[in-house]
Amino acid sequence: MIQGRIQNFLVIGFVALFFAYLFGPLIVMGLTAFNTSGFPRVSPWDCFTVEWFDVLMQDARLVTGVRNSLLIGIGVVLLAVPIGLAGALMLMQIGPRLRPWLYTVTISPILVPGVVLGISTLLFWDRIGLMFGAEEDSIFYDGIFLTIVGQATFISAYAMLIFIARLQRFDPALEEAALDLGASHTQTFRKILLPFLRPAIGSAAVLAFLASFENYNTTIFTIVSSSTLTTVLASKVRYGIDPSISALAVSIVFLTLVGAVIFEISKRRETRRARSQMAVARGEETKVRKQRPFLTEPAFIMFVLIVVAGLGTVYFSGTVGVEECKIAVKEQRQAEIKRKIERRQQQQMFQSAVDTQSQSSSDQEDSKVTAKGTEGYQSVFSPGNLQGEIETQAEEEQPVKGTEGYQSVFSPGNLVSPSSDEPEEEKPVKGTEGYQNVFAPENLSNQVPAENSGN
Amino acid sequence: MSFSNYWRAFFQKNGATLALFLIIAVGTWLFMMIILPQLFMLDFSIRANVPPPKFGTEEHYYTLEHYKYMIFGSALSTDSFNIIDVTVFFRTIGAAIFVTLIDVALCYPIAYYLAHSATGGWSRLMVLSLIVPFWINEILRAFAFKIIFGSTGVINNFLVSIGILDQPYDFIRNDIALWAGLSYAFILLMIFPIYNAIESLDKNQIEAARDLGAPWWKIHWRVVVPHAKPGISSGCTMVFMLTAGALAAPQILGGPSSLWFTQIIYQGFNQAGNWARGSAYAIILLVSCIVLVLVMMKIAKVKFGEMMK
Amino acid sequence: MSADVKLESVWIRFGDFIAARDVNLHIKGGEFFTILGPSGCGKTTLLRAVSGFLTPSEGSVLIGGENMAGIGPNRRPTALIFQNLALFPLMTIWENITFSLEVKGVRKAQRKKRADELLELIALPGQGEKMVSELSGGQKQRVAIARALCAQPEVLLLDEPLSALDLKLRQHMRTELRSIQQRVGITFIYITHDQGEALTMSDHVAVMREGIIEQVSDGTTIYDEPDTAFVASFVGENNRFAGKVTNVTDSFAQVSTPEGLIRARCSKSPESKVKTGDDVYVFVRPESLRFVSGRLVDNQMKASVYHEEFEGNMWQVFLDISSTRKRVKMSYVNDGSIRSHSGEKDLPVGFSSEAAIVLPQGPLAAE
Repeated sequence: MIQGRIQNFLVIGFVALFFAYLFGPLIVMGLTAFNTSGFPRVSPWDCFTVEWFDVLMQDARLVTGVRNSLLIGIGVVLLAVPIGLAGALMLMQIGPRLRPWLYTVTISPILVPGVVLGISTLLFWDRIGLMFGAEEDSIFYDGIFLTIVGQATFISAYAMLIFIARLQRFDPALEEAALDLGASHTQTFRKILLPFLRPAIGSAAVLAFLASFENYNTTIFTIVSSSTLTTVLASKVRYGIDPSISALAVSIVFLTLVGAVIFEISKRRETRRARSQMAVARGEETKVRKQRPFLTEPAFIMFVLIVVAGLGTVYFSGTVGVEECKIAVKEQRQAEIKRKIERRQQQQMFQSAVDTQSQSSSDQEDSKVTAKGTEGYQSVFSPGNLQGEIETQAEEEQPVKGTEGYQSVFSPGNLVSPSSDEPEEEKPVKGTEGYQNVFAPENLSNQVPAENSGN
Repeated sequence: MSFSNYWRAFFQKNGATLALFLIIAVGTWLFMMIILPQLFMLDFSIRANVPPPKFGTEEHYYTLEHYKYMIFGSALSTDSFNIIDVTVFFRTIGAAIFVTLIDVALCYPIAYYLAHSATGGWSRLMVLSLIVPFWINEILRAFAFKIIFGSTGVINNFLVSIGILDQPYDFIRNDIALWAGLSYAFILLMIFPIYNAIESLDKNQIEAARDLGAPWWKIHWRVVVPHAKPGISSGCTMVFMLTAGALAAPQILGGPSSLWFTQIIYQGFNQAGNWARGSAYAIILLVSCIVLVLVMMKIAKVKFGEMMK
Repeated sequence: MSADVKLESVWIRFGDFIAARDVNLHIKGGEFFTILGPSGCGKTTLLRAVSGFLTPSEGSVLIGGENMAGIGPNRRPTALIFQNLALFPLMTIWENITFSLEVKGVRKAQRKKRADELLELIALPGQGEKMVSELSGGQKQRVAIARALCAQPEVLLLDEPLSALDLKLRQHMRTELRSIQQRVGITFIYITHDQGEALTMSDHVAVMREGIIEQVSDGTTIYDEPDTAFVASFVGENNRFAGKVTNVTDSFAQVSTPEGLIRARCSKSPESKVKTGDDVYVFVRPESLRFVSGRLVDNQMKASVYHEEFEGNMWQVFLDISSTRKRVKMSYVNDGSIRSHSGEKDLPVGFSSEAAIVLPQGPLAAE
């Protein structure tokens, strides 16, 4: 009994941890979009803001990228869905000896690394263009065209898998029945098979669009000199990050959720329509026609109202009072820094009696050397120079909006200090790429007795 | 049935319009998008690296120099092997295997729970919430990991504040962020094949094994895992291939000193401008991944057909 | 309106498997023709050759005197009712029924009018707007018929359309099908493995075994005058005695069996003629067996009752023949005068030589 309960507890704990792993990073990222801090983080929380969404809108490169991504997404849907459908239909009727071969070849692009697909597409069309003596600005060298083709190579396989799953539930007798009743092959395809496949076409199109929209590995090679949302994002993320990227993520998640809700409502309508048909036998035509248009559906109106109200609230609280809050936070930070400097000076005096200055300064030297040149990422394990760092910061007090990095100064000595309520100390600094961590671990052991004796 | 009869039957069954559409669409896909580009890439990789105007001229001769370069490095270098590239290659393969194993360990219990313990609405909700994170861009997911694993990220703040760490740990430099991000990236592709396989297992078999007194680990090892083997293999194949071929996550989450093999390919194309070598490296990656998967399938005694149902 | 259908030396092969061997059939215009056979005998294949879904490997199919070679199913004057009906699930009833008009480009108002007429015919007036899933099994059946009739075929092909229905509905649909056929007056070719359906509805029945047509005749002839051992064993119940012919007169034969000498009628079919020394079967219907009380019959033996079933109107008696322990079945009408014979031993049973038939040994229907 008890063992069973422990087992249950473990299972639920594991499932909970798993979903925390799944959603935790996304939720944290979402929250960082609303923090005024120049570096995406949630703690410490500065001020609630929507300014990062404005930053997003003003990024011209990003806007171009999104436009190209949309264009490519539509192109991929138009190419991959018919190809996937043709592949599925072909597989269904090809002889049993050829079938495994066709299946393996068509499914292989899913497993082939996207990088390889991108390169081979780029090279192939480059050679084809060369063969036809095409101009540099012709379609063979056009990033959008190449990306559509490259992505469709494997996205068609996704679409095909969806169609195969649907076709397996298709009764071939329906096609025969239609032919038998005098329909031509084209009519049979259009009136019997296509309506049956309609849901699959819908899901294949959605999947193809999403897969295209978020593809990076293939696109980075085929896009040539253009850019898509993902390539712009990737270069942004690689060369310095700021919360406007979080804001973009929030927007994408939001749009996805809106899409999901609309999809859900329209599905409900469909089932309701079917049910009402079942209930009423006669005069159905008029009933069906009377159904409200989608936009006046109560559920939809409710949804729109909630979304608008929610957005309004967020926008209002994210714009009003942000500046005041920032100033307040800044003043608070400055006061803390002053307090810390004072405390540090006391410690310093005490410490110089315990520590030898030479040891700590050589530590500082070493770590500075290794830190240099590693993507602007500095961690300095230097207990001795802490005070100096803080003083230079205190001089350039003005935090600048949109700074790429920031400094965080860890002084573990304060961790155990009963007088400090804020263990961490940080402040945006003009012009620093990346960020700096300054730790003073060695102080810890020395400092505890020091603090104690100080009190 | 002869070939021409076959085509006649095909046209008869589909009608001319549809038959033509099928042949053109599938033909384009097969040849213009899958087979020929790969062959062209292979051809490109075994030729000298010359600028496009010289393609097809005598200077564009066949050579294996790019493959040799991968192993032995440049003729000018003093090292007998191309240590950087070979190391990166093996580290990439090794890390991809490691990530695949992490994903199996993570997903098997979840898939089993979903298939056999969760019920009704709860399991539907779980399936839905498994899918939702994957609507979000790969790069944004990697970005999210960069945020939480940063030195002032949530994880470091938490660990420091509860006293497990006395200073923030550099997850990025130590590749932990990269492993976490890569495991996350393709987790869905591991869960669903295993889930599908386990779901088709008759619950009575588990009951029977339990009835016969088998301990829980033996039930899994002797009953559930053998049944789910095709699903596990197909999940492993997909996760391994995609991880080894990943580019975004290593670019974003990789520490300053750790390169991924795809990054070397990318550099070959974009920075070194050596398309031929880039192609050769891409072929090396593709072939070694396929060989590795085939060997593993042989060892695990799984057939391709049953894996790709 | 109705056309005759001719199959001339039709062979259908799938690789090494032969689904039809040299099939010759002449189905007259306007008749209800049934092809009866066990599952897998090739009857559906034959129907598909008539409807045009497959081309015979050899031989030809003629409809209304016209050779159908190279003419696809959508241009043949036939309409097929599928075993699973194959109603279009995404269309309403009326759209299903008038699909054949829709593909011809007939205007909607006209189609609706025609749908109403046909719904009247199948006794489902006003149900046109329903979806297929809202109908019962019998209603779907009738919609499938209406859909086929709407195409105004000259030949209607039915592939075991009643097999999915329950017993009661099936019996009802038999009469309904027959009456629809008589009303519309077109040729029906009906496929079934159910002899009851075959005998009740058909003008003519063809019995088929492994791709071969064994006998073509009207229902009573098939039942009373089977040409082959297969037909005798497949259609209706039959007691079978194996033996050797000892003597043949013009229409009767003397057969020596382990149960004793049996005198029985010879088949009228020239292929089934027997001569002295042939290995033969003697078939006797259960209803031809009688308890012998005093008056003499040609063939007589002693048997014990080992089991008895009372069905209300009928008694089914299962007997052990005393000499060989061979088991036979006897059935007779309950006319109120007969008591149970349960457990009685060594009763005299017999049958007249008119009621027994001698046929050459050959393949039998599976039990």
